Amino acid sequence: MSPRFVDEQSLIDRRRFLALTATGAAAALVGCDSFGSRRFEPALAAAQRGNEKVERLLFRHRSEDRIPAGARLSGNAFPQYFVSDTVPIWDEAMRGLWRLEVSGAVRQPLSLSLDDLVRMKRVAQSVDHFCVEGWTARAQWIGVRVSELARAAGVTSDAQYVDFQSFDSDYHESWDMASAMHPQTLVAYAMDGRYLGAGHGAPARVHSPVKLGYKNTKYLTKVVFMPLRNGGYWTDRGYEWYAGT
Amino acid sequence: MGNSARRPSPVARRPSPVARRPSPIARRPSSIGPPSTIHRMTTLVKRTHWVVRVTHWINVIALPLMVASGLRIFNAYPGFARKGESFCCYPFEGKPIPAALTFGGWLAGARHWHFAMMWVLVVNALVYLVFLYLHGEWRELAPRRGDARRAWQMIEFYLFAIKEHPRQGKHNSLQKTAYFAMPVVAALIVLSGIAIWKPVELHWLTMVFGGYVWARYVHFVAMILLVLLVLGHVFMVFAVDPYSLRSMITGWYDESLSPEARNARPFYHLLPRRESSGDHSRPAVTGD
Repeated sequence: MSPRFVDEQSLIDRRRFLALTATGAAAALVGCDSFGSRRFEPALAAAQRGNEKVERLLFRHRSEDRIPAGARLSGNAFPQYFVSDTVPIWDEAMRGLWRLEVSGAVRQPLSLSLDDLVRMKRVAQSVDHFCVEGWTARAQWIGVRVSELARAAGVTSDAQYVDFQSFDSDYHESWDMASAMHPQTLVAYAMDGRYLGAGHGAPARVHSPVKLGYKNTKYLTKVVFMPLRNGGYWTDRGYEWYAGT
Repeated sequence: MGNSARRPSPVARRPSPVARRPSPIARRPSSIGPPSTIHRMTTLVKRTHWVVRVTHWINVIALPLMVASGLRIFNAYPGFARKGESFCCYPFEGKPIPAALTFGGWLAGARHWHFAMMWVLVVNALVYLVFLYLHGEWRELAPRRGDARRAWQMIEFYLFAIKEHPRQGKHNSLQKTAYFAMPVVAALIVLSGIAIWKPVELHWLTMVFGGYVWARYVHFVAMILLVLLVLGHVFMVFAVDPYSLRSMITGWYDESLSPEARNARPFYHLLPRRESSGDHSRPAVTGD
């Protein structure tokens, strides 16, 4: 398969995902689902809360995603995805140098340039990427653990949640602290040995196998520790908030 | 419970122990008239315990919802290949399931239904299995030596190679095989489902299935298998023993209308047998 074909394929996947999601969201809004979903919403929401409890109970920092040594990575077939109309690119001329802000319930807020990030303690890991749609992709990621950022910023006990914000329109997703502190949860700046491409969330993104893909904010600008959860782009559109794997 | 069920060969000449308890209205003539008209004795027996009935009808509602919402989830990525790889064993890679067979409206909606219904089905299955165990009814479903031979006998009968309906107890061996396979396949579906729900937290379970991609495939194929078993079951109910619907609703079964009594094959001898017609001399009433 040529890389070009693969890219188109992933683009189609994304388009269909967005289109169907929009249709579904519209249907949910007017409450004209084929089964009168409004009536069942409380029960479904209760089940979701119950599932979150089960998922949190199952969560272990020692449970890590491992792929076989020498397994093939997805390479160019790794889908590119963003919610803006065009690929979000950080425009230095307009916005100045990109910086990652680490703030909120911390003693020492940070403002890190890409160089600062690269100089921090570095982790490289080849892991799965689990998309809510059902596909998986494999890549090698290089970055800094979110737990390392939390340590560097001196996170306080108020921090129960973390919001990962982006410059891809208003995309953001908030996480529970435990998942964010997982050793495989990274702020990644390189993929398969190269700095992130524009389609993969450059200059830095969240990547972790412990959450479904949509929780992994790309085009990252802010890591905000907070006492309350803050929903998220897809979460606010009806997808489950916890979305652990 | 019953000792007849524990015999090595459940080829029962007598009705099962449950069936041996006649109801207060058993043997009441269903119609009164001169001997020349249709004349049939009803033999009502309590056949289906309320736990089995309730769990059965919960399945009837929840299983289609589970399957259809699963198919809607599947349609978000109707294939199995990991990105950048190909998958050996699915000929319809990339082709979505017709929307009419799906439920939930959109991916998130279908996921909410799927992850809610899973608890209904798992709890329902546990209630059923614990009941089967405590009440001893598992003996009527557990595989036994000779089942293959008896199942073949049933097939021969359905193909008109045998004249008389074999008498194989409460369930014939084809039924038994289907009813035994259902919870087995269901267990496979549940386990592979957990494996793709928690591929990181329960990594070991996912690896039992050969990794995420294969676990997802097992989940899908086992679902197809269960759907085929259900469709076969429903077909046979309407084609051979529609009178068993009564026992699945009220618990009472009229043995004079059993497939054995009617010598019924699919869509053959569906109506109650006329005793006065005389060409088959075996009485329709089995309680002797």
